[in-house]
Amino acid sequence: MIHTRPRRLFAGALALGTALTLGACGDSATGPGGEQELITRVTLTLTPTGGAPITSYIDDPDGAGPQPPSAQVGALTLVAGTSYTGSILFENRLVNPPENITEEVEAEDGEHRVFYTVTGTGATVLTLDQDGNGLPVGLAYTVTAGASVGTGTLRVVLCHYGDSPKVGSATTCTGDTDIDVTFSFSVAAP
Amino acid sequence: MWAFRSMFAFAIRSIHHRLTVVRVLRPAAAALVAALMLLAAVAPRASLAAQERPVPADRHIHAVVEDGNTGMPVAGAEAWVTWTDATGAQLRRGRSDRHGHLDFGQLPARVVTLRMRMLGYAPIERDVDLSVDDVLLKLRLDPVAMHLGEVAVTADSLVETLERVVAVSSLDRAALDARRGQTLGETIKQLPGVAVIQLGPSIAKPVIRGLNSQRVVVLNAGLRQEDQQWGTEHAPNLDSFDADAVTVVRGAGTVLYGADALGGVVRVDHAAVPDTGAIRGDIALNAFSNSRQGAVSVAVQGGGLRLPLIGRTGYRLRLSSRVAGNGAAPDYYLSNTGFRELNGSATLGIQRDWGRSELLVSHFGTELGVLRQAHAGNFDDLQRAMTTPPSDSAFSYGIGRPNQQVSHTTLRWRTTRDLADMSQLELVYGFQFNDRREFDNHGPLRFRNEPAFHLRLFTNSLDVRWKHAPWRGLVGTVGVSGVVQGNQTLGKGFLIPGFDLQQGAVYAQEEWGRGRWSLSSGARVDVISQTTIAYADAGINSPAGTRTWNGVAGSLGAAYRIAEGWDATLRLARAWRPPTVNERYAQGVHHGTAQYELGQATLAAERSMGVEAGVRFAGSRGSFDVAAFRNVIDDFIYLSPREPVLTLRGAFPAYGYAQSNALMRGVELAGAWYVTDWFTLQGNATVLRGTDRDRAQPLYDMPADRALVQARVNGQGARLGAWHIGLGSQLVRQQDGVPAGTIYTLPTDGYALLQADIGTSGLLVLGRPIDLSLSVSNALDTRYRDYLSRYRLFVDDAARDIVLRVRAPLW
Repeated sequence: MIHTRPRRLFAGALALGTALTLGACGDSATGPGGEQELITRVTLTLTPTGGAPITSYIDDPDGAGPQPPSAQVGALTLVAGTSYTGSILFENRLVNPPENITEEVEAEDGEHRVFYTVTGTGATVLTLDQDGNGLPVGLAYTVTAGASVGTGTLRVVLCHYGDSPKVGSATTCTGDTDIDVTFSFSVAAP
Repeated sequence: MWAFRSMFAFAIRSIHHRLTVVRVLRPAAAALVAALMLLAAVAPRASLAAQERPVPADRHIHAVVEDGNTGMPVAGAEAWVTWTDATGAQLRRGRSDRHGHLDFGQLPARVVTLRMRMLGYAPIERDVDLSVDDVLLKLRLDPVAMHLGEVAVTADSLVETLERVVAVSSLDRAALDARRGQTLGETIKQLPGVAVIQLGPSIAKPVIRGLNSQRVVVLNAGLRQEDQQWGTEHAPNLDSFDADAVTVVRGAGTVLYGADALGGVVRVDHAAVPDTGAIRGDIALNAFSNSRQGAVSVAVQGGGLRLPLIGRTGYRLRLSSRVAGNGAAPDYYLSNTGFRELNGSATLGIQRDWGRSELLVSHFGTELGVLRQAHAGNFDDLQRAMTTPPSDSAFSYGIGRPNQQVSHTTLRWRTTRDLADMSQLELVYGFQFNDRREFDNHGPLRFRNEPAFHLRLFTNSLDVRWKHAPWRGLVGTVGVSGVVQGNQTLGKGFLIPGFDLQQGAVYAQEEWGRGRWSLSSGARVDVISQTTIAYADAGINSPAGTRTWNGVAGSLGAAYRIAEGWDATLRLARAWRPPTVNERYAQGVHHGTAQYELGQATLAAERSMGVEAGVRFAGSRGSFDVAAFRNVIDDFIYLSPREPVLTLRGAFPAYGYAQSNALMRGVELAGAWYVTDWFTLQGNATVLRGTDRDRAQPLYDMPADRALVQARVNGQGARLGAWHIGLGSQLVRQQDGVPAGTIYTLPTDGYALLQADIGTSGLLVLGRPIDLSLSVSNALDTRYRDYLSRYRLFVDDAARDIVLRVRAPLW
């Protein structure tokens, strides 16, 4: 049996342990973290036939942070009895340039659906686009303002279907809610 | 299911030593013996009879240690002589030299107990009568080659005797083999005072006396496990196959391991590597019917490796893996609850005249799924998930989003040096690296292979301890400890900031005994400095800053022997901990619950003061143990509901960290009745009440009252080995003590589960001894939801699970 000199070994252990402990301070410098990866702005664009588009958006600059979303920017003033072609844009504006998340929703349209729910003064929303299975998606739609004048709200819900199947006839989200935001609009006399 | 007979056919009387509830308190008389017993699971019956007559002493034991087969001298065998006199428990330690000689001097003229252990051999324990003259002994050690770890002494047990007055339950290797679950938490959850916070089959977080996470220290192979343990859905990242013994210490005040163990300590000991013997290997296989999990562990060890400069070295290599699919409730599979583990460890150890040194490198890697229903998008989704009956999900081994990938790498170097005056110096250096990635199923990140949260935690620790020689009846340990820790936050989302942490501590623990009395006390001073790194983007603004805390923890306890076999104990313990980084700075939605958590940077340290009393009886016909405690926690940190947080994703139920004064009270009971030498009745029960005194309401997350009763029949057959059949039931009362006003505190009903097991140890197959057992839990497929199950809002708990466990030598 070879006898290692105990004192030296023990002293070595102590020295190495101390060195590693101190040396490791370098390792523990902390990274800055990544940017938030979120949808921070939802923009609705409504275009009347032959007219100028109306745009309105809602921001949540702190993303998932505790501050509530900001007030709606840009009024949605519809003209009674008029039809509008609608589009919707989901963006992450915490990065520069802003990321277009709508494209990713489009790429997996079989797992997504946008629900539009109107309360108050009459307006009708019709979804135009369909996924590969013939089920509605909701990235393209029309809004038709009713005949009467007044105000109302339009709730926009982006729904993701992970496990649960997408049901064409559903009127509310039965999957995971990615976006749930409410715009207000008004209907003016022509 | 509880105890499992080992190859040693001890009578049923010793069952209680295997899973025992050793709560204390042995008068001076058998104090040390008791601690050694519970730590090493050696039956100490003889020593209980030790007399109490002080005798002037200079008797000697001269022994020659031989291999029972070859007659060759055995060097390096560790031996202890213990006895008790008027000044308390006495201990002499020794080790055989290269000629197999072993000498003890200055012994009393009376009966003493001699114990010897050597890896690769069966342990020896015998009484030696020195009342007439010195004794010359020939000790023949029986080689035990076929079983890996059969006689493996837990390395820690040699030097880290626990205080005698703490409430302890322990599981030795045989008990572990029979009960080893899918996770560490599952393995210990039926011990008194213990419960688990469960997220399906893959995550089980130990709860001791109602406290969890940072308040329960998990000590793995002598190192405090640092694996982001603040998160309730972060289970201890360790390979349960590495465990050779598990000890659960209930209550605060074990100053050796840290000031912050307000709830208790779970100590996982690995087997020491052998220092002699040829290469041996064994294989363990577990199969679980519920999640169709298969688990395998292969280990190879030997004592004859010759390394340059170092010489003869013992080694062990272990590789283990688990693959589990979706867990099953009685009516459906739980979607996305499978997990996969791949773990490996390598240990090298040397034993010399001066002491022992051991190097351990281990890696734990897991990928686990989180139940889909529990990963709700926002408040509306959560409401819907809770109110929609769970639908059957197809069985699958696949893991989809949301999921976690976690790895934990440990390097530990531990050296003990025996000093001439019977004292011992110990040094433990540890490096741990924990890498945790959590993948989301929401928003843009769903499309990308990028973690929502990515945390990397580096921990360096150094412990130096001096276990001093017995001095006027005092035995004890004095030590210093230092920890340097750094955390990186790298994910796309923010949950906690990066931070650096430095901690230094000085501690001492002493015990003293005289007559029927035994006293124990410990004290520890810690200084902890926490520096957070600023984190800012358009959304989150988390400031940089340094805060420093210091505090004193400690305990004072006494044990009194009422009569032979009866002990009473009383103990005071003080513990404290600073708020953790997540409690100070968390900002984000928690994985697995649509719950928004907000930290509070100005939180004060949490401090507890507890008193506990116990009575214990251990006799030839049974054992009995009762403990009652009352623990006052000032500035108890908890999550308090606040107004919902609104985001573009909708509303989230929100919780903020807050402080209150809390009171924890409880009673734990355990007992065994050896009805005949082949039939045993055993049971335990735990009652716990946690109260928020400022708000006069119950605390959240308190385990429901529970009891376990079981009957066992044991036997021994020449070819059959030591067999047993057990039948038991776990009874859990309704949890009606819940705070008002949040969806997360829904009361849950009580339930009763039936369990049974049959098994044998040492069954001879082709001339090899094999351990084999078959057990069933939730035998009647009862539908139930435990209050501490994090998935209880959505789905039922686990259905019937039939488990087959086999362990066999490889050659």
